[in-house]
Amino acid sequence: MQTKILLDEEQMPKKWYNVQADLKSPLDPPLHPKTQKPIGPEDLAAIFPMELIRQEVTTDRHIDIPEEVQDVLRLWRPSPLYRAHRLEKFLKTPARIYYKWEGVSPAGSHKPNTSIPQAYYNMKAGVERIATETGAGQWGSALAFATMLFGLQCTIYMVRSSYTQKPYRKSMMHVWGAECIPSPSTKTNAGRSMLEKDPDTPGSLGMAISEAVEDAASHSNTNYALGSVLNHVCLHQTVIGLECREQLAMVDDYPDVVIGCVGGGSNFAGISFPFAGDKLTGKHKDVDIVGAEPASCPTLTKGLYTYDLADEAGYTPLLKMFTLGHDFVPPSMHAGGLRYHGDSPIVSRLVHDGVMRAVAYHQSEVFDAAQTFARSEGIIVAPETAHAVKAAIDEALKCKKTGEEKSILFNCSGHGNFDMTAYDAYYAGSLVDYEYPDELIKEAIARIPKIS
Amino acid sequence: MKRIGFLVNPIAGMGGAVGLKGTDGKVEEARRRGAQPRAKDRARIALALLVHDENLDFLTCSGEMGEDTLKEAGIQRYQVLYRFEGDSSAHDTSLATHMFLKAGVDLILFCGGDGTARDIFDVVGRDIPILGIPAGVKMYSAVFAIDPATAAELVMRYDIQSLRDSEVVDVDEDAYRSGELKTRLYGIARTPALMGKIQLSKHVFEEADEDRAKKEIARFIHEIMIPDVLYILGAGTTTESIARKLGVHKTLLGIDAVKNGKIVGTDLDEKTLWTLLRDGQEAKIFLSPIGAQGFILGRGNQQISPRIVKRVGIRNIIVVATPHKLRETPLLYVDSGDSVLDKVFGDSVQVISGYRMAQRRKIFQSL
Repeated sequence: MQTKILLDEEQMPKKWYNVQADLKSPLDPPLHPKTQKPIGPEDLAAIFPMELIRQEVTTDRHIDIPEEVQDVLRLWRPSPLYRAHRLEKFLKTPARIYYKWEGVSPAGSHKPNTSIPQAYYNMKAGVERIATETGAGQWGSALAFATMLFGLQCTIYMVRSSYTQKPYRKSMMHVWGAECIPSPSTKTNAGRSMLEKDPDTPGSLGMAISEAVEDAASHSNTNYALGSVLNHVCLHQTVIGLECREQLAMVDDYPDVVIGCVGGGSNFAGISFPFAGDKLTGKHKDVDIVGAEPASCPTLTKGLYTYDLADEAGYTPLLKMFTLGHDFVPPSMHAGGLRYHGDSPIVSRLVHDGVMRAVAYHQSEVFDAAQTFARSEGIIVAPETAHAVKAAIDEALKCKKTGEEKSILFNCSGHGNFDMTAYDAYYAGSLVDYEYPDELIKEAIARIPKIS
Repeated sequence: MKRIGFLVNPIAGMGGAVGLKGTDGKVEEARRRGAQPRAKDRARIALALLVHDENLDFLTCSGEMGEDTLKEAGIQRYQVLYRFEGDSSAHDTSLATHMFLKAGVDLILFCGGDGTARDIFDVVGRDIPILGIPAGVKMYSAVFAIDPATAAELVMRYDIQSLRDSEVVDVDEDAYRSGELKTRLYGIARTPALMGKIQLSKHVFEEADEDRAKKEIARFIHEIMIPDVLYILGAGTTTESIARKLGVHKTLLGIDAVKNGKIVGTDLDEKTLWTLLRDGQEAKIFLSPIGAQGFILGRGNQQISPRIVKRVGIRNIIVVATPHKLRETPLLYVDSGDSVLDKVFGDSVQVISGYRMAQRRKIFQSL
């Protein structure tokens, strides 16, 4: 009974998979926030290196992973695929459950899969410093790690509520030599204006993005990096799904259901895009691809599919995506990494087209699932990841009812070793089941900028 | 230095042990049935924990109305402001409270029940925070700490930042003695809360400030209000903040109605509400849980009768409450007077607790 399905280092993917190549029609272009006309590469050149801009828009199916990047990725990749025998037994399900364990990276999550290439391309372009934002601290620590490896300075605007709640993520960033600032801060115009409006704001990913973009745009030696949402970020994460497909083939399997948690969408994209490609090209038409999101920030299940800003202050292009409105500040729940008003434009498009679907869960049920997983498989997952665990358990329990022997694959995107206060709250019975009052909001969301 | 007005209602709670369900006007009857004063004992538990707090200065009443208990607890930093003669009464509570108000105390700590809370509230309103050491027969008001030790902790940690609204409830004693709970919202006092202690760091930003939370709720409600819909606003400061956002004045304790941003009626009774709902008038009702027990319907808002609820539709009843209030109210209750209708509310309800933010909360449903 095999538990770990492992690839050799030389089997690590040499190319990323670009699902844009297999979309039936091109993505709607990002628009300039002022002119509302499609942006060109020059609009992004102030904050991104040209190679990442190219990757953002290319429709090439495969993109080479530079040798120097592969060299770093090999520190932990290929990551193991586990067959969750113990969880299956506990649930008494006929389903086969697999999880891809991304918690083995130095930062403890899938995030370094993109921080490494982003830091690399910036270094190649002669950039000296990178400014970024981080929600729960996963992305900030991953970028701190990557910039250190390639000799860049790094400034990280961390959402204020997480900055207080997750001091150890901040410590990790310091160990790897980065500067970490609570956002909104007084360092930028955007931050100052937000603090003026609301001095006690818990901050949000949207606000922190505005600060990091402003920092990058106003310093010639500084570029910006984003840990999710954008096409090139999702592209870099496809190593996850590509490895999974190989690993499952080693045990003669192919997933019936592919699951990931969704905030900005990058880990979900990472595990699912190669399978979405199989679905789009007709190789596996029936694969069911499920994104699990929080009920308190249910972008894909309750948002509108429309153009909206990616940040709070309006510095970023308008992206066509599912959104709850760029001025929405999600509650300070424990899965801080899923607190984002919008979603990856590609994930949004695939959900809109019915290639993928989404489910939303309350905090308590998500932690119930995380506890079940910890007590069967041993791993204490991050609260964000717990959403994927919950969706996988639900699918497995459906199989128990129907007797179907489905193959369920989920992305176990990160460990929760720095999230124990969240587990403490769960055991203290003080978790709040936040939800988004969507019925009442339909009127309010009409405030999103209208694009003709 | 914190100046604490301290007052004991010595007869509070006497009726309970002898089955009188309240002591107001029944002291002799209670004594005849063998009731013993217990308020002093309850107060002493709290005071014993405050002996070593050198930041406290007590202002109190003579004898069994305060001084005796302070002495017994070993507290020496006190000053007697009010001396009563004969048997103490509600009138003495009122006069003593007037003295506390005049002296400008920071907080009134009292030991008693709902009746004592009302007598004190009548004098100080929202000007001085009040905190009850529970000793009465009925304590439906939210000004009471859960036990004397918690009351002591609240006094020690008290600062102006940690105040919250708490309902003072009026219970009809005669009805109560015949087994019926009839409550009326009497007023909304200010009471210290253990925010720092019970909140996890997670929630610091969104919950530290009750006023901020109310403003956020009001901002959201304002955003979703639609023209020509009649909005019925229940009692309390959360619904009042909605009215304030609209720029209209709402009665704190009454049921008021707003349409197109204008008040169409205040302190409405059931009949008037029914009239306002004529001709298929579309309506929504905003309610906040009332009292320490978390009743959405049936306490303090009986004007919203079963026929009104049915006419408006349960899906148009929108519950609003601050995160802090929700944390103190683990279960919500519905007692509309129609048990079949109560069941239709189901076992949970969405409660708007911030700007575009809600919490899913359980409703108690009997089997």
